[in-house]
Amino acid sequence: MIDKLKDRDALTLVGSVLGLGLILGFIGTALAPLPDPIGPAAQQFADGALTTIELTLVAGALGLVLGVVAAVGKRSQVLPVRWLADLYVWIIRGTPLMLQILFFFLALPAIAPQLQLSEFWTAVLALSLNVGAYNAEVIRAGIAAVPSGQIEAARSLGLSSLYSFWDIVLPQAVRISLPPLANNMVALLKDSSLAYAIGVVELTMASSRVQAESFRPDIVLPTVAVVYLLLTTTFTQFAAALERKLAVGKR
Amino acid sequence: MRNGKPIIQVENLRKSWGNFTALDGVSVTFNEGEVVCIIGPSGSGKSTLLRSINHLEPHNAGRIVVDGIELDDDMKNIDAVRAEVGMVFQSFNLFSHMTVLDNITLAPRRVRKWGNEKAEKVALELLERVGLSAHSHKYPNQLSGGQQQRVAIARALAMQPRVMLFDEPTSALDPEMVNEVLLVMRDLASSGMTMLIVTHEMGFAREVADRVIFFDQGNIVEQSNDPAGFFNHPAHPRAQAFLKQIKHAA
Repeated sequence: MIDKLKDRDALTLVGSVLGLGLILGFIGTALAPLPDPIGPAAQQFADGALTTIELTLVAGALGLVLGVVAAVGKRSQVLPVRWLADLYVWIIRGTPLMLQILFFFLALPAIAPQLQLSEFWTAVLALSLNVGAYNAEVIRAGIAAVPSGQIEAARSLGLSSLYSFWDIVLPQAVRISLPPLANNMVALLKDSSLAYAIGVVELTMASSRVQAESFRPDIVLPTVAVVYLLLTTTFTQFAAALERKLAVGKR
Repeated sequence: MRNGKPIIQVENLRKSWGNFTALDGVSVTFNEGEVVCIIGPSGSGKSTLLRSINHLEPHNAGRIVVDGIELDDDMKNIDAVRAEVGMVFQSFNLFSHMTVLDNITLAPRRVRKWGNEKAEKVALELLERVGLSAHSHKYPNQLSGGQQQRVAIARALAMQPRVMLFDEPTSALDPEMVNEVLLVMRDLASSGMTMLIVTHEMGFAREVADRVIFFDQGNIVEQSNDPAGFFNHPAHPRAQAFLKQIKHAA
């Protein structure tokens, strides 16, 4: 483990994670000295950014799992499984995310009243299903791009199809899919602003409130844009480092 | 001459893709400890036979029995045969995202359920045997073709197979790397391993083979337990023409 952490990319990886924490921790402190209307609302921005990151990380992790499951489903030999995966991706990619969020917020409680989800978890549900569908296409392409010789070698050693997938196909497919997956994650971070519509107090909602109280959109909105840029930049840096790190074994 | 009891029995094996017949009713038996070199023009079915033996190509008709296990559509039987039969590919096919050591230990850990310690111990012994002890923590793309193929041999051997299949193991190598791979195979042959080798290295075949099989158009047209005799005086006209052309090329 120590050896593995000695190289620069590993440092960037750890650095990005720490950086994200630092940015979140210090947004409030950094914004506080600024003049009105930013300074007095610093804590609102900080809390909003934290919620945005929470939405992104939780929905992103779930979306990754969903993406792998749907990608495997799309390649399944079992027809109904393939149909189900195709249907999922077709519906999600073919309808607006805003509509999906509203559906889970307004329609789901009517359909399944026993399901009591908070605004935050409703947003997580909608966002993860959404990013999962896009991830599915990306991972499916990644799986298809793994050379057949790799699978033949695995099977010829007596590895079951499950182990071949888990040990050989999936790790290589994820490496291949990493740049577009990172793209989806950055898109997700920005799309999380739509949770605003159902009352989740994330970064955009926070800025909207400050703006409404201060009547200074000319100052508030650019400030929020800078915070978003800081967050997305950390994400892309992390993804780029991860890509370089994992490229070690790639020809 | 080593001639143990039969370990692989192939009966009337057929395989075709559309109109192309790769194997046209092949019957052959391979014995324990035997080193068999399979030669012939490309497209004659020699690689397909090898790939059928561990079911990388499912056959259309006929039977294959490996070490008493019938290769049918039962996945359990297929995996059992694959665990006993090592395969070395023309293009090495090392797992590109794993170190040399992980390449070798993966299957023993997963299939044989060995602990890390035992798997690594065996892997390091095999790496020493193929002369690559210093490279255990490298990735495949940091090795030359000859080194990669030697790792691939070590990886197959780690499963302690009863039989090793080689599918043109030196065809993708730069000329100066062919020998280091043949050296490892020669060592393996002299250790008593049962080996089926599809190859274009006629000198090597003549030297190490207990039996030479000549394939043409999906079937065995000639086989001989006297490799030197075969290479000097092939009986079948197709074998004569094939060997003549190869000599001209060389």
